Amino acid sequence: MSFLEVTDLKVHFPVKGGLFGRTVGHIKAVDGVSLSIEKGKTYGLVGESGSGKTTTGRAIIGLNNITSGKITFEGRDITNIRKVSKDIRKDVQMIFQDPYSSLNTKKRVIDIVAEPIRNYEKLTKAEETKRVQELMEQVGLSPESIYKYPHEFSGGQRQRIGIARAIALKPKLIIADEPVSALDVSVQAQVLNFMQDIQKELGLTYLFISHDLGVIKHMCDRIGIMYKGRYVEEGSPADIFNNPQHIYTKRLVAAIPDINPRNRAEHIKFRQEVRSEYEKSYDKYFNSEGLAYMLQPVSESHLVALPEKG
Amino acid sequence: MWKFTVRRIFVMIPQVILLSVIIFILAKMMPGDALSGLIDPNIDPATIEAKREALGLNNPWYVQYWDWIKNAVQGDLGQSFQFKMPVSEIIGQRLTNTFWLALLTLIITYLIAIPLGITSGRFNDTWGDRLITGYTYVGFGMPLFIFALVMLWIFGFKLGWFPSGGSVKPGLDPGSFEYIVSKFKHMLLPALSAALIATVGTVQYLRSEIIDIKQKDFIQTARAKGASESRVYNRHILRNSLLPIAAFFGYEITGLIGGSIFIENIFSYPGIGQLFLGSINIRDYTVVTSCVLLFGIAAILGSLLSDIILSIVDPRIRIK
Amino acid sequence: MEIETSKNPLLLSKVEEPAKTPSGWRIIWRELVRDKVALLSLIFLVLITAFVYGISLFLDQEEIVTVDLFAIHQPPSADFWLGTDYGGRDIFGQLIIGTRNSLSIGILVTVMTGLIGIIFGMVSGYFGGAVDNIMMRIVDFFMILPFLMIVIVFVAIVPKYSILSFSLIMTAFLWMGKARLIRSKTLQERELDYVQASKTLGSSNFRILFTQVLPNLSSIIIVAMTLNLAANIGLESGLSFLGFGFPESTPSLGTLVSYARNPQTLQDRWWIWVPASLLILVLMLSINNVGQALKRATDARQRRG
Repeated sequence: MSFLEVTDLKVHFPVKGGLFGRTVGHIKAVDGVSLSIEKGKTYGLVGESGSGKTTTGRAIIGLNNITSGKITFEGRDITNIRKVSKDIRKDVQMIFQDPYSSLNTKKRVIDIVAEPIRNYEKLTKAEETKRVQELMEQVGLSPESIYKYPHEFSGGQRQRIGIARAIALKPKLIIADEPVSALDVSVQAQVLNFMQDIQKELGLTYLFISHDLGVIKHMCDRIGIMYKGRYVEEGSPADIFNNPQHIYTKRLVAAIPDINPRNRAEHIKFRQEVRSEYEKSYDKYFNSEGLAYMLQPVSESHLVALPEKG
Repeated sequence: MWKFTVRRIFVMIPQVILLSVIIFILAKMMPGDALSGLIDPNIDPATIEAKREALGLNNPWYVQYWDWIKNAVQGDLGQSFQFKMPVSEIIGQRLTNTFWLALLTLIITYLIAIPLGITSGRFNDTWGDRLITGYTYVGFGMPLFIFALVMLWIFGFKLGWFPSGGSVKPGLDPGSFEYIVSKFKHMLLPALSAALIATVGTVQYLRSEIIDIKQKDFIQTARAKGASESRVYNRHILRNSLLPIAAFFGYEITGLIGGSIFIENIFSYPGIGQLFLGSINIRDYTVVTSCVLLFGIAAILGSLLSDIILSIVDPRIRIK
Repeated sequence: MEIETSKNPLLLSKVEEPAKTPSGWRIIWRELVRDKVALLSLIFLVLITAFVYGISLFLDQEEIVTVDLFAIHQPPSADFWLGTDYGGRDIFGQLIIGTRNSLSIGILVTVMTGLIGIIFGMVSGYFGGAVDNIMMRIVDFFMILPFLMIVIVFVAIVPKYSILSFSLIMTAFLWMGKARLIRSKTLQERELDYVQASKTLGSSNFRILFTQVLPNLSSIIIVAMTLNLAANIGLESGLSFLGFGFPESTPSLGTLVSYARNPQTLQDRWWIWVPASLLILVLMLSINNVGQALKRATDARQRRG
């Protein structure tokens, strides 16, 4: 039994139209996604915008309604997480993409970080203050700054506050939705390394959602690639980066910039090859609606969306 | 376009029904009924009771409501005890007066608003703009009834330029040229007073809209392409800022109704607003409910009209 | 809430410098000070409020509204600073009490409509969907009613008519604008990540609405309520002018203006209606000035400083 198990998750949004605003169709934001995460590992979910990776993360934590599918966490069914008991709910937390809008600008840091503590634990004011100060130290911010407002911090510092809030209840699983993509590149590495440190320290499991393959490569033990609500490929970083099988993955990997200028000509040639292959073999990898097929195992750890043989 | 219109009309139907129910409830809450005005207080109670029965006043409320609606749709709004004649007839006379006054007010409102708004927006932060902004600033804070009183005081009494009451000079032959001129003269001061206040919102809207559009990228593009300043204004800016205003007149109806109550009262102008206030003071409730129903439906129709025009002008609304 | 950042150096990581922006109240205060007209208006409002509430403690309303047939229509004099009306009642005293009454009811109606509008708008905007749809149809319907006529009918037929019932009637038909405003703002707020974050942190909807969303609406609520106060004072005096506002025994600014419906008073006895009219105008302009300054303070694009 794995730590987090998502089976055939579907999230469909109704499309209203017509004279009386009836439902005329659905947008299939997530269309049959299955994944499982091992305890203490980092699972990376990659895809372009609109691929459904964020919706998957939000559905797991209960911010989007699930159309069908099943989610288990440590063997317990949490498909309807807003309805399950508080003990389980506090084990799953989230780090948001935008460090500006995810912190309430009208609240002091102490109120922001203490919000989950107030919801789940009964502490006195002094205990609470102490906890918040400890958390601030843990994320590398001054414990004295708890009476400040979010706008007095920089983007990276704000994201640390967001992390302090997410780890306040000592969760087991953290869903990190593009946690660094709103930050300056110079700060990104800092926050990522810090997230890794804190993972070791607290034994956290991450579901790491990103569009940045470089970041994913740096962080993840296992990677899933999504396109139009479906998986196209899943495997270890070695599988994905050294041996991509699906044409979509190949193009993604080919798009990673090479910093060595001497390889430039070679790199361009490689990209053009991948591109012509993409154009030629599109029909082989996508069905008539332009969607990916079901995943087929190609090796022990490596799954690729290919048409069923025969 | 038609889709939006149909949907909008579907929204309107329950509004009209609800309005009529509310007015009916109000009418039932009013002391007395249709008989209080008709009958001599000396008639014995048994006869009154028989009459009540005959008029259906003892029926359950929904039957009474249905009768009332049926009659109202056919134009029978009941009897006024004050005037001893059918309400529909009284309202008919007053409605023409109110209609012409409202129309004149609307025309003057736009005649003032459009040039002032355009001047103020196009030449913002010049002396002309400051003058206009000053006017809208005072007008925004000025209650209509105080302004109308001051206008009446200055132009009606002190200067004597306009008649200070009524809708026409008595003794003129209806239909004659003098009659029409006299009607117009009686309407002019009330309409001007109402328009000078009503126009403020439109001027402010137009000004900020033009200033806003002026800085938009597509205007810069038009300028960069070498379009002349007048072309930029006529083809791009005014087109975008004036069209919504053309649609607003339906919404203005609600304001005009409120305004007409003050204006007709202050200038003793015999329209619906004055009829309404007069009837409520002497408790002629059949007239009162009819006035509310009439103005209520006018407001609903006005907003319907504006919504539809807006949806033609602004395609973004249609999609919703 | 002011924070002294200079005395309390923040432990910073080397690369990052905190971006400092002043907090809400300080921005509002700065905008008010910069806008001299708004500042003067505020001072004027504070003074006149203190003045009318203070003086009216020493004025006997009974005595002022008692008819004195020996002092009808007197021009201003040492006894009657602003003369007397058709019942020989002192205009100056009525002006003080009328201002107090008009201000009180304006504030009362503003607060009540504000409360209804906040709760209605927040619930509608936050929950969305069918709830929102139904609640907004209710608002649409109230919006379309001919406000003035309905209020006048209610005032005419309500038994045991009093100041309280008057303000309740006004409130019943004036809350919709605020409900719409708050709803549209709540719709925007609920999509922001801090609301989503609160959900994942286990806060209840009720808690999110009142402790997370409400503080973010505070500035637009203050602006809307200020501008509404002016409008409500105008409406109250208008209704009193028509004779459907305060009961006869309770003077209001509108009651004083209504004496001018008599052509003789309008032409020859300015002291009865001109001071009250001017006062209404100046009150409304001052409140609008303050409101506009607040509005600029909450909109970063329009700020002057």
